[in-house]
Amino acid sequence: MKKLLVVVSVAALFPVTAMAAGENNIGNCGWGSKLFDGQSGVAPQVLAVTTNGTFGNQTFGITSGTSGCTQDGAVKSNWRTALFIDGNRDALARDMSVGSGEALDSLAHLMGVEAQDRVAFNRAAKDNMARIFAKDATPEIMAALRQVLADDAQLARYTTAL
Amino acid sequence: MPIWPLILVALLAPFTAFGADDAYLAALVARSRELRLAERPEWRKLVHYEPDLIGSGLHGLLDNRGFYNSPEGKTRPQAELEATLASFFSDVEETPERQNPQCAFIARRAWLDEELRFDRGRLPLRACPRFREWHAALNAQRLTLVFASAYLNNPSSMYGHTLLRIDARDQDERTRLLAYAVNSAATTDETNGLTFAIQGLIGGYPGTFSILPYYLKVREYSDMENRDLWEYELELAPPELERVLLHLWELLPAYYQYYFFDENCSYHLLGLLQVARPELELTAPFRWWALPVDTVRAITAEPGLVARTVYRPANATIIGARLNNLSEEERSIAKNLSLGRAPSGEALRGRPAPRAAAVLETSYDYVNYRRATGRPDVADPARLARELLVTRSQMDVPSQAPVIDPGTRPDQGHRTSRAGLGIGKRDGRAFQELELRPTYHDVIDADAGYVRGAQIQFFDMAFRHYDERATRVERFVPVDILSLAPRDDFFQPRSWRVAGGWHRSFLKDGSEPLVASLDGGAGAAWSSRGHALFYTLGEAAMRAHHNLEHGYGIGAGGRVGALVDPAPRWRLHAYASGINYFLGESEQPRALGLQQRFAVGRDRALRLDVERRREGGRHFDSASLSLQLYF
Repeated sequence: MKKLLVVVSVAALFPVTAMAAGENNIGNCGWGSKLFDGQSGVAPQVLAVTTNGTFGNQTFGITSGTSGCTQDGAVKSNWRTALFIDGNRDALARDMSVGSGEALDSLAHLMGVEAQDRVAFNRAAKDNMARIFAKDATPEIMAALRQVLADDAQLARYTTAL
Repeated sequence: MPIWPLILVALLAPFTAFGADDAYLAALVARSRELRLAERPEWRKLVHYEPDLIGSGLHGLLDNRGFYNSPEGKTRPQAELEATLASFFSDVEETPERQNPQCAFIARRAWLDEELRFDRGRLPLRACPRFREWHAALNAQRLTLVFASAYLNNPSSMYGHTLLRIDARDQDERTRLLAYAVNSAATTDETNGLTFAIQGLIGGYPGTFSILPYYLKVREYSDMENRDLWEYELELAPPELERVLLHLWELLPAYYQYYFFDENCSYHLLGLLQVARPELELTAPFRWWALPVDTVRAITAEPGLVARTVYRPANATIIGARLNNLSEEERSIAKNLSLGRAPSGEALRGRPAPRAAAVLETSYDYVNYRRATGRPDVADPARLARELLVTRSQMDVPSQAPVIDPGTRPDQGHRTSRAGLGIGKRDGRAFQELELRPTYHDVIDADAGYVRGAQIQFFDMAFRHYDERATRVERFVPVDILSLAPRDDFFQPRSWRVAGGWHRSFLKDGSEPLVASLDGGAGAAWSSRGHALFYTLGEAAMRAHHNLEHGYGIGAGGRVGALVDPAPRWRLHAYASGINYFLGESEQPRALGLQQRFAVGRDRALRLDVERRREGGRHFDSASLSLQLYF
């Protein structure tokens, strides 16, 4: 709550049009992406949002209007999984290490993992926890998870959800 | 047709856009007057009108001009209703920066359309794509009121906090993290507690509504501030839920002046929620005083409104429960692992896999707790955390997370105001006493539903009558906060106290005036497994009265105490305290006492206090017995 004012004042520094130019959502997710202008693709953008750790402030502070990855406070559908992973890295690592938990279930839900594949998904996440969390940054975690799924015949079809 | 609607339309003309159907607007206005719509509770709630403190007028609680269509909308419901109708004829096209008034005031439109049955041919309804998109993204099925327990170290959250959660259709209990939270809060980056308190009291901050993923709030409360959450799932019919969502859309760009005691987060959340049903009057009892837990009580008191409650323990609570399941030896291994003092493989060798897993999970949670609360006592905590998790992931045993007993719900604790009626004797003279404490909890009150060791009292007062004298004020203490947080080998919080007010005291000149005092201190507390709590605080004290030598005294001292529950309803508080005033008037008051509380049901208690005191150069004993009622 305290941080909101910062966000609002940061937002005030930029013309409304810059904040609202959300036509191409990928590559323009919030003010943080300004730091990484010139780079393309999801990875640097997600990174941009997480630059100072508490990404929630920048991404969700502006609740009325469009801010790249959110519209009026609701996360745009193509950003939901990336932002969830980003906001729950610790909880996801913890859940994967035991092969169960709320964060892991929520991730599987976001990725559309079907009920009959959940056991395999949790198993793969647990067995490959060290691989998935080899690096700290969200884009690398996502890439590693994609690779783990690709290596699993039953789960390979979910790689497109990342 | 009477002529006044036409005059009105002429007055409103500047606010309407080209192409407005003036005759139809006049007809709608006339009909709204006939139906007296502006006096209806639905309209009163949608524009947040409250009665003025003085006089018979009304005022809207929202403070941004954009929330009103009429320049007089804040104080004149009728003018606002008519200007709102006029604005619906606007031909402004929606852009990312701007909405048509029909969309910006979509809840008002829905209700006015219900009542006036707009002729679509003469007043076409806008599609409002931005709202539709937002509405579809929320995919709401249910609302849940979430209560975050008290957090003494942040003045804005001292009494706890409430927020509203929007649960989506495709979610279940296992995926609630994906829901959205609606937060209503003062927007400030003030970190100075005193400044916040003062600004909060005088309405110095704007309050706004915001919406964000619930997982961010869970992280903030459970992991960073270590506050338990209580989730109250609300039973609303689909049209009722829809009304709340429509109105939330209207509120997102709005702001109000935030007042700590009455117009606070919890109050405005009720203001949003009560639009669900015309007959739901949630804010009315809270015009003067809105404690978050009391607003939760108001919700649970509505028959059938709360479907179910869910408890979400904070990280520190989970660690505490994990530690209770470990042996002394396992505890010390967990601690060593979490400080990176031993490689996990060696430390756990030879232990059964489930025990090793329990130790590893505890040590990881504890590393995370220290990271989240900013105690960087390990060189690379992220790497250590990862190592512990990787080791854990190689064990083929299910999660050893403990099942945690939620205890008493916050809305089921004692009520938040207290009155006491007592008799007693001091120095051989009998007295009768009346006590009143508007809020909220002290360390002797029953803990059920409250955070143990967290005392918050505001405007505590007592009036005493001695047989041979008139009734007089015995004490008046605007602020008295005490945080007793036990320390152990895993948690090392600081305990502290701050209090300011007037107490009747014996002075050296023989008088017994009301002396103003301000004291504060810091120290530590420890808890034994038998639910006893011991504390010690070092304190600084200031006092002032013109009967004191030089008119004031400044000193230092301390207190020690123990809180013990010999039986479930019975609590003892033994204490000793002393201050040496060395600046101004020199004096060394001392006190030694025993307070006892015996609970008789949830909202009644008996108190028996005895004390020996030395002050103003004399010694005396006092004892009192009182009946306390919580209301």
